[in-house]
Amino acid sequence: MTRLCDLDDLPEGGARGFEVPGLACKVIVVRRGGRVHGWRDFCPHYKGGTPMAWKRDAYLNGAGDHIACHAHGAWFDIETGACVQGPCLGKRLIRVPLTVDEAGAVRLRQREERT
Amino acid sequence: MQIIGPDSLVFGVDDVPACHEFLTAYGLDAHDYTPEKGGHFLSLDGTGLEIRRRDDPSLPPALKTGNMLRMQVLGVVDQAAMEAVAAELGKDRQVLRLADGSLRTQDDQGFELSFRVTTRRPLDLPAEKVNAPGDFGRKPNQIGVWQDMPTKPRTLSHVVLFVPDIEPAVAFYRDRLGFRITDTFTGTGPFLRPQANADHHTHFFIRTPPYMQGCEHLAFHMGGPTELMLAGSKMIKAGYESFWGPGRHKFGSNWFWYFKSPLGCNVEFDADMDTHDDDWVPREAPMGAEAAQAFLFQHRDKWAPSGGPKPGH
Ligand code: FES
Repeated sequence: MTRLCDLDDLPEGGARGFEVPGLACKVIVVRRGGRVHGWRDFCPHYKGGTPMAWKRDAYLNGAGDHIACHAHGAWFDIETGACVQGPCLGKRLIRVPLTVDEAGAVRLRQREERT
Repeated sequence: MQIIGPDSLVFGVDDVPACHEFLTAYGLDAHDYTPEKGGHFLSLDGTGLEIRRRDDPSLPPALKTGNMLRMQVLGVVDQAAMEAVAAELGKDRQVLRLADGSLRTQDDQGFELSFRVTTRRPLDLPAEKVNAPGDFGRKPNQIGVWQDMPTKPRTLSHVVLFVPDIEPAVAFYRDRLGFRITDTFTGTGPFLRPQANADHHTHFFIRTPPYMQGCEHLAFHMGGPTELMLAGSKMIKAGYESFWGPGRHKFGSNWFWYFKSPLGCNVEFDADMDTHDDDWVPREAPMGAEAAQAFLFQHRDKWAPSGGPKPGH
């Protein structure tokens, strides 16, 4: 199972993007409320998807309570991936299932590695 | 109507320091800036952006969509032009005269507009010069590029809007404010040029559903393609993220490089845009990858062919 980072490297409320072998886009990991959420860095506004940060790892809006696409300001719910404001209303992000192992490493779940 | 184009675009943002970081890296100079209140971010001729907190009570009302653009400040040539705008728009809407001499109103879509006698300074700067057999733009010994040559945005070039009700929006700018349509992407929208500006466009409208209304991107003019390439490369090196480019648009001929930003819209470098006069016959093409650009590249890290046989082998 691909290891993305240690949970300790990801502060509560923080987000980071990771390149994953075999995946065309990065995987965004957001730590919030003691849980980690994985999403493809793939804004659904345009066909083909676009990466969303305005600089390395800058995936959240100013308040830190939504994932934001910084091309045109779409906001996504961190827990459900649903777009709640902006150009992708009605669309959602693609979830990347994650696990945190006993040693505290954030890993992709098997299923994702086959896609 | 002797309108020149946007002197300033006003934003109400979620993260003022992030905008400061981004816009200064982009090459604008911060004026009267504090992290609490925001400030102005200006290009070489004094045009630029005003960045405030989203909840700043001095800002005009926000769009319902959450888009952070709060107002366009359009520069006009003189006081007579101001009076002409006031008389025309006063026919069917409220036009406020503010203490600073500016006019304040709204277009038919609810985009806030301000008009003022332009404060932009005339620029006395050479454009990028090109050498070619038959036409040498640079003098002997004048070099074309060096690593740390200045790459400052010169002037606010254009703003692109997501517009829900596009026909009345175009009619307002064309028939009431006297903008000329230079070219049109069929089904998407037109490029617009105000009468006192020869640039191919200061505005471009994109037809969208109402929940998207807002600013799609804004752009500043650079001194030429080399400055644009260098400025964009510096952004990439500093960790900022490209959205589209570098490349060269067909309509307008301008070179482009778009970056995502904490303003909730793309911020573009542009260079070498066509200019037009009223003899120009507008073109029309269906929007698509083919029509949108003559060519498109993607940045890669510096590289050199090396590692061949060692000298003497
Ligand atoms: S590309 Fe993400 S909001 Fe437009």
